[in-house]
Amino acid sequence: MTAVTLDVRGVTKRFGDGETGVLAVRGVSLAVEPGEIVLIMGPSGSGKTTLLSMMGALLKPTDGSVHLDGTAISELSEGRLPDIRLRQFGFIFQDFNLLSALSVLENVAIVAELAGLKGRRARDKATALLTDLGLGERLDFLPEKLSGGEKQRVAIARALINDPTLILADEPTANLDSKIGHEILRLLRAIAKEQGRSVVIVSHDQRIRDIADRVLWLEDGAFKDIVTMATDPACGMAVERERAVSAERDGESFFFCSRGCREEYLGGLHTDGSENGRGLSRLIRTATETLKNAHGR
Amino acid sequence: MSATVLLARRNLGRNRFRLLASVGGVALALSLTLALDAIYAGVANQLTTYIERAGADIWVAQSGVRNLHMVASSLPTSIVEEVSPIDGVAAVTPILEVTDTISAGDERAVVYVIGLPESASMGGPWDIVEGSAKAGPGEIIVDRGFAARAGVTIGDTVGVLGGEARIVGLSRGTASLVNSVAFVSFADFQATRGGVPVISFALVRVRAGASPESVAADIERLVPGVTAQSRTDFIAQERRIVTDMSAEVISIMSVIGFVVALVVVALTVYVATLARRRDYGVLKALGARNRVLYRVVLVQAILSVAVGFVIGLAFTGLLAFAIGRTDLNLELAITSASLVKVGLFAAIIAGLAAILPIRQVAGVDPAVVFRRGAPA
Repeated sequence: MTAVTLDVRGVTKRFGDGETGVLAVRGVSLAVEPGEIVLIMGPSGSGKTTLLSMMGALLKPTDGSVHLDGTAISELSEGRLPDIRLRQFGFIFQDFNLLSALSVLENVAIVAELAGLKGRRARDKATALLTDLGLGERLDFLPEKLSGGEKQRVAIARALINDPTLILADEPTANLDSKIGHEILRLLRAIAKEQGRSVVIVSHDQRIRDIADRVLWLEDGAFKDIVTMATDPACGMAVERERAVSAERDGESFFFCSRGCREEYLGGLHTDGSENGRGLSRLIRTATETLKNAHGR
Repeated sequence: MSATVLLARRNLGRNRFRLLASVGGVALALSLTLALDAIYAGVANQLTTYIERAGADIWVAQSGVRNLHMVASSLPTSIVEEVSPIDGVAAVTPILEVTDTISAGDERAVVYVIGLPESASMGGPWDIVEGSAKAGPGEIIVDRGFAARAGVTIGDTVGVLGGEARIVGLSRGTASLVNSVAFVSFADFQATRGGVPVISFALVRVRAGASPESVAADIERLVPGVTAQSRTDFIAQERRIVTDMSAEVISIMSVIGFVVALVVVALTVYVATLARRRDYGVLKALGARNRVLYRVVLVQAILSVAVGFVIGLAFTGLLAFAIGRTDLNLELAITSASLVKVGLFAAIIAGLAAILPIRQVAGVDPAVVFRRGAPA
């Protein structure tokens, strides 16, 4: 039997009641093994962040349960959760969420101190970790003086300082340029593969697929099977080809999120003339990605 | 430095203007209370200086008279002979005392006029800067401050007790904000009262090793119609008069200072907490317990109030020093009782000021960490 770090069992999250209630996550199950990197992708509003919040014990599921190393953390009282968050999870955020009043070193050391490490030892541990991540020269800098990549490395150091079992990363590369984004991805892969920590990433970034062991597609609060995606040329939204409103033009297929977008786009082509329309069509690339069902891998 | 203190200190320090407003507001409000206390304590000190420096261990007065200010005491001169043989008594000096005005030209001032026998071993001026320490018939010793204001000096005459007296000595340390002490001869003073053989007080010095309180009790027991108090008790009674007269004013100003400081600290800590709501959310998400975050808020309030208290104290101290260097007959005495009171005020202010921000922190949702760019 394979060991499981995180076990999400039939988790559902409903916000509100009655007709105004919203079902953000519907019966999602997921098992993450030690050292495994799981990437969860999906359109905006699909429930990714809600799912991540429940995995991180920041939100209680309406139904189902979340188990971490065999403990049903979704059943624990609010009073016991801070310790779990502090010692078992490492969070990495799109906005970095560093404490702007504290220096780089203090941002990391304070989390170790919260876990009970005394001042000097916490600082020493944070210094070693930050130095390993190439931030030895930036220890006394305030976050505002750092580049995006440096901020994210500080956030990673902060996530690792208490030796967590599971790293939860929310759009970790979204605010980074391509090169720095790759560096962060390599770092996350090293954390998983060399340190044996499980990593769950929620992202729109296709590059992350390269380092992920599994890619899941979340849509309407549930994991979906293989879908073929396209980009709505009018609003830029990612849409499923099979379910989208489509149109043919000059032998090329276009997919839209709604009839409105289709009318707007085709109307614009008519108004601007066919020459311009062909120019636009050259510019618009249909992004197609075939995502494998997580259960299929 | 603990994580709590570090975070509190940095949260405060990040916005210098807010910190300055908070600390400055507290300093100003607390120094208002401190300064007022100091003024009244100074006045009490000045009013009791004569009792303190007269050299008597025991003050014997008419029965029921327990202080000097705004009262009249009248005893038969025979009291001196009745008190002198009591065990423990070393010396007795009778004095006459009345609150009157002293005038020179257009300058008039309120004075305690003290009539002293020629042989007095107590009750006279203790610091003569010019002239004689003894006033003979038709003579007077006045405070040098009055002399300076009135433009008179040794040899000039002043109006006192319905007549005139020639200045023979200038004393120092005998003036307060409200009055000064002038010394005339016992005979002159008695003459203004038609030669009636009465005294105001009998000043008693006890023998070495004798307890003033115990001798005072013996005097009260053995001599009918007198109230005898040790110097310490007499001073305490005199101070009580000042305190009673000023209690309402001090209370009102203290309440104003308290409320101002409370509002300033509460608002600044609240705003500082509000500005860092997201940080508190992040800390919660990372595993910080609510009580840790409450401590951060409380420490912020305590730091603001503590720094404000120290600055307020320093400011009041400087004010006291500066006033002491002027010719004003004003003394600011910062007492330990006042420090304890204002310190207690400060502690209560810090506690109360933290309540509202703590409620804010309690309501922060840790899931805020996933809301991009949005305020918590």
